[in-house]
Amino acid sequence: MTKYIIKRIGYLVLVFFIVSLLMYMLYNLIPSDPARDQLEGMKSSLTPEAYQQMYQNLRKQMGLDDHILIRYARWMGLIPNMEGKFYGLLEGNFGYSQYFKKNVIEVVVSPLKTTIFINIFATILALGITIPLGIYCAVHKGGKIDNFTQVFTIIGYSIPVYIIALVFVFIFAVLLRWFPVSGMGTPGANYTGMKLFLDRLYYFALPLIVMTFGSLGGMTRYVRAAMIDALSMDHIKTARAKGVREKAVIYSHAWRNALLPVVTLIISWFLGIFSGSVIIENTFNINGMGSLYIKGLQNHDYELALAIQMFYTVVSLVGALIMDLSYGIVDPRVHIDK
Amino acid sequence: MTDNQKRHSLLRNLFGNRNKEIDIMTEEQIQSPGRMMLDNFLHNRLGMTGLIGFLAIFLFVLIAPHFVPINLGESDNTQTNVPPTSTMMSYPKEMVHNTQAIASGPTFGVGCDKDGHTYTWGYTKITDVIDMKNIPQEVLDAKIVDVAAGYDHIVALDEDNHLYVWGSTRLGQDRIPSELKPSRTKGTPEIIQIEAGYQISGALTAAGNAYFWGNGNMADIDVKKEYQGRVKKIAVATYNYCLLLDDGSVVYAGLQKNNAFTKVPENLKSGVVDIAASGDTMAAVDRNGKITVWGNATHGEKNVPETDSKPVELYGGRYHYTALMENGDVISWGSNSHGETNVTASVNSGDIETVFAGFYQNYAVTTSGDIHTWGLKGHPLGTDDLGRDILTRIIHGGKTTMTVGAIAEIISIIVGVILGALAGYFGGRTDMLIMRISEIIGGLPFLPFALLLSAIIGTRFDVQMRMYLIMVVLGLLSWTGICRLIRAQILAEREKEFVLAAQAMGVREGTIIFKHILPNVLSILLVQATLGFATCMLTESSLSYLGFGITPPTPTWGNMLTGANNSIVIQQYWWRWVFPAAIFGLCTICINLMGDAIRDAVDPKSLGR
Repeated sequence: MTKYIIKRIGYLVLVFFIVSLLMYMLYNLIPSDPARDQLEGMKSSLTPEAYQQMYQNLRKQMGLDDHILIRYARWMGLIPNMEGKFYGLLEGNFGYSQYFKKNVIEVVVSPLKTTIFINIFATILALGITIPLGIYCAVHKGGKIDNFTQVFTIIGYSIPVYIIALVFVFIFAVLLRWFPVSGMGTPGANYTGMKLFLDRLYYFALPLIVMTFGSLGGMTRYVRAAMIDALSMDHIKTARAKGVREKAVIYSHAWRNALLPVVTLIISWFLGIFSGSVIIENTFNINGMGSLYIKGLQNHDYELALAIQMFYTVVSLVGALIMDLSYGIVDPRVHIDK
Repeated sequence: MTDNQKRHSLLRNLFGNRNKEIDIMTEEQIQSPGRMMLDNFLHNRLGMTGLIGFLAIFLFVLIAPHFVPINLGESDNTQTNVPPTSTMMSYPKEMVHNTQAIASGPTFGVGCDKDGHTYTWGYTKITDVIDMKNIPQEVLDAKIVDVAAGYDHIVALDEDNHLYVWGSTRLGQDRIPSELKPSRTKGTPEIIQIEAGYQISGALTAAGNAYFWGNGNMADIDVKKEYQGRVKKIAVATYNYCLLLDDGSVVYAGLQKNNAFTKVPENLKSGVVDIAASGDTMAAVDRNGKITVWGNATHGEKNVPETDSKPVELYGGRYHYTALMENGDVISWGSNSHGETNVTASVNSGDIETVFAGFYQNYAVTTSGDIHTWGLKGHPLGTDDLGRDILTRIIHGGKTTMTVGAIAEIISIIVGVILGALAGYFGGRTDMLIMRISEIIGGLPFLPFALLLSAIIGTRFDVQMRMYLIMVVLGLLSWTGICRLIRAQILAEREKEFVLAAQAMGVREGTIIFKHILPNVLSILLVQATLGFATCMLTESSLSYLGFGITPPTPTWGNMLTGANNSIVIQQYWWRWVFPAAIFGLCTICINLMGDAIRDAVDPKSLGR
């Protein structure tokens, strides 16, 4: 097991470097010249020759003429930077946001909390609904509720989440006025503690409902399919023939077997909503990672965008690792270390 | 096996002679697997609904663009946020055989009958509070003899020469000059003509004096004194006016020196019998029937058609003119974006008495009092914030969305199938390499990565190239699923005897993979392709919705919804998001239903055998 984990982590690190190199190269496709930017203010007070001289010196000083791999290693913090220190991504230097005029790490902290908050909440909500519903549909396959759910879920996973958002805003915020249209908290209010939490929840309710609803379709179908497969196994017939109570058959004999595909789904879905919440955050004006990312891209603040992109990459890589490892935990038949 | 047969055999099973029952082996012999899949699919009601729905939408967006051309640069500030309506020319039936005057606003019509009653129709709501429908009580009480409609206001004249203005009056639309008001010394001046432009209005008195009032910031509403007392007719364009004098000459009487109208053509010094104005041009017709158009003609207003008969009267819309001929026929020319120059044969039966034209509408009144209309009836699905027709944009947006989705899916299938087949057949190092690449690409967070690519590379290209870029990006990011699937299928297939036989016969490896093995996995590929097509369309629309896909003015179903996420649009301008969202949702639902049905059809397990 340990050997396998180490192997997986080694592979993960390799992929991380490949992906980050890819990103860095993409990022370098953008025509920009920090040296020229820095000298822009002094341009008028210098003669062309002196300016050229200074420009060349500065370029050398900033290391802009070096090979892209060297610059990448410097950015990553693998080799010392121009000042002779190891100070790159690996040492916690995520760069400087031109748009916010702050270090990226400072900009990212509060949106990250928001995103994690709504994503975890949406996960709990979605799992709480889809798993019982999926099991029920599988057990009562072909029944009225199952047929209704089948049609309903196809609608759920066909319609893009922003259309669901528009419809829900129209129904719940505009017509019924139950929830605010967008935003993160009552403007001007200075709540603390429990009240702050409730106010947040009030504002996040609609985005959460939309996220949950958007994921109901696909997940319910998946849980249902996994459960139907599990219920058609021979040992279920045996259990029933033995006279095991139906509840025990479903929840203990069948559900455990259905759990493996479901766990895969849950993790990949959890990763999906991290990037999928880009749309929700943008639609509901929530200051999360997704809307920050869009803001970075729109305002050509690529250092910020790159840092957030790396965050997404790390999340998805770690998620893939957890997914692999969880097979072994959920299903004792799987020997992943082989 | 049809339903009928099925029921039949069930009856036989229960009560009939069992010898005739087709057992499963016979059935398998009769039906080839392909035939069975097709039958399964055709009997799946949801799947067929999906197929029919998808085909309908697909043909609609494929064929309709040829009939509904789109002008990408189009924007029309007179038609912004108009809800779905087709009543812009629906005059009340009380007006028939009894028409006194009709005037057209951008989206509404106003008219009065010979009894002095005033009516409005069409989309009369100008802002949240201003509605042209709310005719002031004093107007309803008065006996109205003439009406004029501007951009957002209406002027009406009663038989006692009182002027009434309603609608938007914020910019002085109701600031009627004192000369036109009743005074103790001179009495009320008799008014013979009223006209209206963009927030300006004009009136002509029987004494030959012309007066203009309204928002003078952009419009030239002053009149040079030397022409007063000699004016026979006035014509009001959007911001300007010109006068026809009693000596048959046309003059620009405003104080502005250098606009498109100040240089009145030389041949209009005498002999002019009628003048009219469109939005940006003016036209005059002389005694001989020669029509001269001057001004800023952008929509073909100067292309006066040749006619046998002599035009005698002119009427101007926003970008078109209509002329009444000596023989009672009418012709229209200029812009035809809303059908405003489509004079039908039924109109030209030679008995037109007069025409009322304005903005995009024409009303022709025959000598018997019937009213013929042509021009803009309304927008079937409303317009957006730039005054563009939603239906046109849905049609063309659908074409873009489907094209992008289809090509992206084709790219991903080609890449996925080739790499999957190679990995599956050769195994070993090739397999290792391809699967690692696919894992890396599959592991990339999809949406953020597509956003990044679009933002970084997309800025260098123009709209067309950007569209191709989006297709390629989507295609190259979404092939991993198909690749894995094909690989797994090929791994299973390559162990079978027929592959060994082919190898023994010395068939080349490429041929074995693509000709012997691949046809066996085609059905699964079809399912993937169908579902993947929907996914690609969804992704493209999400990118466009966020502003990183295909950018306006090129419409897609995604970018039509950009900016719809605020309560004002959601509530008040519901047609701007309901229709694109509905057709897009319907389309993806149909594709997914179809994909599910195909999967059920090709999967023998679903038959329960």
